[in-house]
Amino acid sequence: MIRKPKIHRLQFKILIFFLLLVTSYGLLLTAVESKIYIDITSPAFKKLPIAIQEFEGPLGRDISAIIENNLDFTGFFSPVSSDAFVENPSQEFNPKNWLPLGVEAVVKGIVKQDNELSAKISLYDVIEGREVFRKEYRTSRDLMRPLSHAIADDIYFKLTGEKGIFRSRIAFVSTKDQERMEIYIMDWDGKRITRMGISGNIILPPRWSGDGTKLIYSAERNRQWGIYLLDFLNMSEKNIYASKGTNMAGNFFPDGTTFSFSSSKDGTPDLYVKHIKDDQIIKLSSSYGIDVSPTVSPDGHYIAFVSDRGGTPQIYIMHRNGSNIRRLTFEGSYNTSPSWSPKGDRLVFVGQRGKNQIFTIKPDRTELTQLTVSGNNEDPSFSPDGRYIAFSSDRDGMKSIYIMRANGESQRKITPKGLVAFGPNWSPK
Amino acid sequence: MKRLSIYVVLLFGLIVIGCAEKKMVKQQPEEYQPTVTVHETAKRAPDTVDVQPEEKIMEQRFARIESKEEALRYTEEKDVFEDIYFNFDEYDIRDDAKPVLENIATWLLKNKSAIILIEGHCDPRGTNEYNLALGDRRAHATKDYLRALGIASNRIEILSYGEEKLLCFDESEECWAKNRRAHFVVLKEARQ
Repeated sequence: MIRKPKIHRLQFKILIFFLLLVTSYGLLLTAVESKIYIDITSPAFKKLPIAIQEFEGPLGRDISAIIENNLDFTGFFSPVSSDAFVENPSQEFNPKNWLPLGVEAVVKGIVKQDNELSAKISLYDVIEGREVFRKEYRTSRDLMRPLSHAIADDIYFKLTGEKGIFRSRIAFVSTKDQERMEIYIMDWDGKRITRMGISGNIILPPRWSGDGTKLIYSAERNRQWGIYLLDFLNMSEKNIYASKGTNMAGNFFPDGTTFSFSSSKDGTPDLYVKHIKDDQIIKLSSSYGIDVSPTVSPDGHYIAFVSDRGGTPQIYIMHRNGSNIRRLTFEGSYNTSPSWSPKGDRLVFVGQRGKNQIFTIKPDRTELTQLTVSGNNEDPSFSPDGRYIAFSSDRDGMKSIYIMRANGESQRKITPKGLVAFGPNWSPK
Repeated sequence: MKRLSIYVVLLFGLIVIGCAEKKMVKQQPEEYQPTVTVHETAKRAPDTVDVQPEEKIMEQRFARIESKEEALRYTEEKDVFEDIYFNFDEYDIRDDAKPVLENIATWLLKNKSAIILIEGHCDPRGTNEYNLALGDRRAHATKDYLRALGIASNRIEILSYGEEKLLCFDESEECWAKNRRAHFVVLKEARQ
């Protein structure tokens, strides 16, 4: 009898093992897929008709109204009016009550209030005729709005597969009487406006760090321009750059301890980078004219900025070390205030066409799109998912903060009448 | 035998991965369909509800910070000199500014302990940061002119206000021209 050499048997076992490994990997790719209700990356999606029933219990109406307003603003949903509903919120879900209305998703919820606020919500798929998502929440009684936003985020994620922005905040500047300016923070929808206690003769728009724990801003106090850091973790304000001249903060690099800024300390406004940890300052540009408004790309590799080196203020992009400078804007004679989308795929900026208007453009100079037409519109800032833009506008007389979808749709004012508000910067999450 | 088995493994792997990827491609509905796009979910058990664990919603409370007020270094005498004006989007010293600057230089040469602060301003048509840079260039150009007239650099402070301190708010050429200015403040050391 010829004995099969041991080494062939071993090879055979390895072969089988490897085959199983590859097969299970392939199967894994299919098994983790879940249903996508709206493909929001597709250019031709249809809005999802959704019914958000009034939640039962105290504050139920307020909570469900906030959720509906949130989902409606995205442009991906069409909330169906409760006038058309056949089923009461307290009745058990029956798809037969919803199919004739064309509704495809239903949200129901129950709220309880004792020493805490708690909510239990269910999401129903009308086509499949069943509950598909359920979750409970609890919070302290004064956090009704963050609770509503958290529920909206979860529903949004369940139906689109993407992270929502409903718990994000917007930092901005307002005037405190005629003489001083102050930093404020509010929810993305303009509610819960909170004074931070930071004031100065002049304050330039604050900018969030990538992890959302710090704000960097410039302030003119006592005839000096300084750059300051507001750290939320230890609630402190620190001067991180001072010199003679006009010093204007850019924004943080992804590491959160290096930032870009402009300064005229050497005679003309130039661009710099500073490492906070070791106090090191690097000069990036030195042209005869004006170089300002540096803004670091989300991946930290590029810096967009404004320069009049070509004769008029235009936007340029360069490598973070100052090399490879190329011009981004060629239309119009005054283009400033660039800001990157957190997705890195486009920039928003202000172009003067008579008055100041908001534009977006891709880094390769294509798809220049004008988003506003009336009044002066400035200080644009993208939302964390790159789908919305906050900006200031005087179209109603007084400078106020507006939000809109990144394609210019659904422009709405979010700061209250009577508050002079400008310089919005959307939090990173 | 060895080579053959490797090819078989690779082939098998490609087939399986290829199948999986095809399932992940999103389909565009061609005729009217409900919004829902159902992917093949053969592996998922039917009728499961996605029940998430209970979440406690929390938020960092912001304690209010009060910015520290720094002590004033100087007291200020305003309106000792008149303003000088600039053309739109320019920072060159105009001819009509020169007599004012010569007057200031003469005064500074006589009052040797005085320091002068030059504020640079703009009209509001541009955007805030660029206007701060433009105001800075205007103040610098003014400082350079005074230095050329013999005033030491350390006696001239500059500060840009951009479009932040407007003298008037109408949208008219007259008002805009008034705002495009350099303004002079005489500084004296503050008494301690």
